[in-house]
Amino acid sequence: MIEKILFKKQSKVQLYIAILGTFIGFIFLTTSVHFFIRINESKKNEDVLKGKAIVIQKKVSSLSTLNLVKTDFNPDEIEKLNSQDFTLEVQPIINNSFDISIQTDSKLLPYFRSDIFLQAVDARFLDVSSIKWQWDENDAYVPIILPREFLVMLNTFANARGLPQVSEELAKSVSFQFNLSGNSQKTSKKVKIIGFTGDISSILVPPSFLNYGNDKFGDQQSLKTTQLLVSIQEGTFGKLEQYMQSHGLEAKESSLVIGKLISVTSSLLLILIGISALILLLSSLVLIQYTQVLIAHNHYEIRTLLRIGYSPQKITKIITKYFILIIAFTALFSCIAFVFLKITIDKKLLDSGLTISKTLTLQSGLVLLFVVLIYLVLNYLNTKKEVFNAEESKS
Amino acid sequence: MNLHFDKVIPHTLNDIQQKENGVWNASFSLSKGEKIILSAESGKGKTTFVHLLAGIRKDYEGTIRFDEKDIRKLSLFQWTQLRAHQLSFIFQDLQLFGDLSVEENLVLKNERLPTFTNTKLKEMIAQVDLEDKWNTPCNLLSFGQQQRVAIVRALIQPFDWLIMDEPFSHLDEKNKDLALTLILNRINELQAGMILTSLGENQLLEVDKKLYL
Repeated sequence: MIEKILFKKQSKVQLYIAILGTFIGFIFLTTSVHFFIRINESKKNEDVLKGKAIVIQKKVSSLSTLNLVKTDFNPDEIEKLNSQDFTLEVQPIINNSFDISIQTDSKLLPYFRSDIFLQAVDARFLDVSSIKWQWDENDAYVPIILPREFLVMLNTFANARGLPQVSEELAKSVSFQFNLSGNSQKTSKKVKIIGFTGDISSILVPPSFLNYGNDKFGDQQSLKTTQLLVSIQEGTFGKLEQYMQSHGLEAKESSLVIGKLISVTSSLLLILIGISALILLLSSLVLIQYTQVLIAHNHYEIRTLLRIGYSPQKITKIITKYFILIIAFTALFSCIAFVFLKITIDKKLLDSGLTISKTLTLQSGLVLLFVVLIYLVLNYLNTKKEVFNAEESKS
Repeated sequence: MNLHFDKVIPHTLNDIQQKENGVWNASFSLSKGEKIILSAESGKGKTTFVHLLAGIRKDYEGTIRFDEKDIRKLSLFQWTQLRAHQLSFIFQDLQLFGDLSVEENLVLKNERLPTFTNTKLKEMIAQVDLEDKWNTPCNLLSFGQQQRVAIVRALIQPFDWLIMDEPFSHLDEKNKDLALTLILNRINELQAGMILTSLGENQLLEVDKKLYL
């Protein structure tokens, strides 16, 4: 009965505007929060090299081919790069100075052998546990990180032989073997793949293994630092790019492109989160104003209800319940719209070559829940104030 | 619940000369069960007096207490509790819901604190000669008919005091008697008191006290 009295006189147009604004705001917010999280974690998930770490090297030119320009880094150059404001950390990548080949060591894979090039990177640049990323002579196997191109090459070879393709998961579960030689010695070591990278073209091993190989089989004189692993601050890809251009440096293109893409997309998504917050703020103001207009239109009814003994709490509860239903349905429909939008965007990203996790993020749901709660609390407080004002105003 | 007045005067009447035996600026008490008539000329503050007791107006000096409780200190929630359980009002402007039917107006009041069955409500409406208006929206009734609906609505709750502001102003003698009979029966049933403003002479009503403004 009270509902019949209170919601008869209402301006539906204003309500529809508020609902539409809230609906759009909810969709924008959940979508931008979801993709902000997914895009930022996508590189982490796909690659063992940490998201903001980049491998850089000097540009190879005709002069360097003729040995007129050095392609290795001296300590001053490393220190200069390390002192830049965008740099978090610089680490020289150690190379092997001995002969080494890798071969398959499992009946699950066809026999395959190839001479390879090793590099060592410290565990703190990698998304693997430091326990997994260590080796000593007594260990059963050497943990390695394989470039994805290597797996592509292995699969091309398998395909040519009419053998089944090897997935990343299968490759991780089977054994390989290193054959080390030099200084008139040779040995073999079992190898286990613990991850893949698209950013480094050589096989990565723990520094302790490379030091062991270089000491025992290698030529210490020929050790040079030709590549650096640079970890930079978030959103500073532009500064790094400028520095590289002015110092004749280059990074692996895919690493830089993905880094830039993630940086730009993250910034755009942050702007979208801001716009969503603005839309929600405006629509909450419209909704609050709508409540005020609704209560003003029903001033006589509310005042009379109070005078025949209905408590302000009861009236506030009825109006709040009405808005809970409106906001809950708006949130529900925006969730459904968000899921459809997410499926569409996921497909577009996949078509563009960017794979991200398809599962819904808990955070986007929590943000939506938080905003809904803010909406309801604001609306409750506003309604309560207006109901009390209805009694206070002159009869 | 007894009502106590201690030198009460509304701000709007501060500058007006008050009668010696008048209510304003006087100290007196009204006990539950008393039937009181408040008479005054127009503009002397009858409606203001009712509104002070209803907690609608607070622009006065002095103190009004319900038992020992100063009504200035009552919260809105406490006022609504009093209006539901101990004080019932018939305001001069009636304060019905015009879009609701007679039945809906009464049911809305009865839902606040279920007191009577729908059959009993219909009987009470029949007692004031409005049974054929049961489903009629109140804004389609004459003011006299609306007054009778407001009277019935005021009776369908428990109360210690029934406070009425010119409730019979648009009723003819016959309907006034019907309404007054219903009121007195309910008051006697509850052993409640009543305050009635501006009633002409009526043989049915024996008053305990007359107040002047």
